[in-house]
Amino acid sequence: MIKTWLFTLLTPLFFWGCSSSKEGLKIIATPVPHAEMLEFIKPDLKAQGIDLVIIVTDDYNMPNRALANKEADANFFQHIPFLDEQIKQFHYPIESLAKIEIEPMGIYSKKITSLTELKDRGVVAIPNDPTNEARALLFLQTQGVLELDNPNNAQATILNIAKNPKNLKFIEVDAAMLPRSLDDVEIAVINTNFALGANLSPLKDALALEKKDSPYANIIAIRIGEENRSDIQALKTAMTSEKMKEFILEKYKGAIMPAF
Amino acid sequence: MNTANIELALNLLPLQLWNTLYMVFASAFFATLIGLPMGIILTITSKGHIKESPKTYKILETLVNIGRSFPFAILMVALIPFTRWIVGTSLGTTASIVPLTIGAAPFIARLIETSLKEVDKHILEAVIVMGSNPFQIITKVLLPEALPSIVSAITMTTINLVGYSTMAGLVGGGGLGQVAIQYGYNRFNTFIMIVTVTLLILLVQILQWIGGYIRESILRKRGKLSHD
Repeated sequence: MIKTWLFTLLTPLFFWGCSSSKEGLKIIATPVPHAEMLEFIKPDLKAQGIDLVIIVTDDYNMPNRALANKEADANFFQHIPFLDEQIKQFHYPIESLAKIEIEPMGIYSKKITSLTELKDRGVVAIPNDPTNEARALLFLQTQGVLELDNPNNAQATILNIAKNPKNLKFIEVDAAMLPRSLDDVEIAVINTNFALGANLSPLKDALALEKKDSPYANIIAIRIGEENRSDIQALKTAMTSEKMKEFILEKYKGAIMPAF
Repeated sequence: MNTANIELALNLLPLQLWNTLYMVFASAFFATLIGLPMGIILTITSKGHIKESPKTYKILETLVNIGRSFPFAILMVALIPFTRWIVGTSLGTTASIVPLTIGAAPFIARLIETSLKEVDKHILEAVIVMGSNPFQIITKVLLPEALPSIVSAITMTTINLVGYSTMAGLVGGGGLGQVAIQYGYNRFNTFIMIVTVTLLILLVQILQWIGGYIRESILRKRGKLSHD
């Protein structure tokens, strides 16, 4: 309780501190990779006369609240399902400016080299936690492996599978178990961080990777109606440039992919 | 409470209740199969017993202690190759029986050792004097004398396995515990959580009741219930 009060009291002070010291385009971001990517374009914006102020945080609730309260002009840390959930809960007047990057989920296999080889009644391992299970099912849907009863259900579980033409058997396991399960299943849908941890290379080993059309790409969010501000347009241009694309591919080596 | 929740419960619970029963009983059976001989050897090789052998005792005791120190989730992962060798896959309900068995066997071995060591020393001395061989001592004296307490040990292990089986969800084993975590806890579905936990409570109560009943009927047959 005391913590909550202290936080409520100190947060405005913190932002007041920021705003009084510097006037510029203020963006809240989580350290890796978002703040790193913003640091990369900072000199370019400076050359255009825009002072990009990056406020780094590890908190997932503060950035949207601060953006809605006009304590910052943008934030860069979340994907669209998370933003939708926050808007539903707190009614923030916030929208997505652009998709920037994605930590793609991948379909991996030790048995087949393409999804077309997927056998009838094959076993498919997917994560068992709510976000990742739904994400894996939505991803399999885009690959034509299955159809869900509601094609955009971000809370889907295997109970929501409406069509399963190959009669695949789905097995829900712990997300960190998935790379270890590869010897026992036909395919497994694995988050990039766990794939990398198990020495799988998303770029080389995955049969399919989530693409930029995935709702789980991370976005820059702004207040509704501010899309045409010149500094925000400059930010968008810089963050979706060829130069940024090269930076992402170079620095994160497939763990993070451009989504623009 | 709404109909969607009831439908979800009806969709999930019958199969997962079966999965829990299957995992718990199969692993309790195999764990007893492994744990009982271990418990017997631990007893007879201990200091001052019929086949005293400090070396055997030390080795077996170390094995039991190693088995009991693994956090269960890690044991599951560590046993993946072994599980795959035994049942052909490391995922699913049947596959989770292997780590459950290996996890419970040392526990039951210890409990059985304790039960066997409680057998009255004077009875043992008497049968040794009468010239019984170790096999006879074990099968005719130790085990029958300790039977009620062994029944308690098996009951206790089975109930512990209900708790352990919750972790089977990590490897896609299913079961009620997994429903409670995956749907109740992770998805904030209080209704599902309450229903599954209630089922688990009932299951434990029934297991305890059956164990108690068997133990008591053994004691009653021997006319010992009055001073037990």
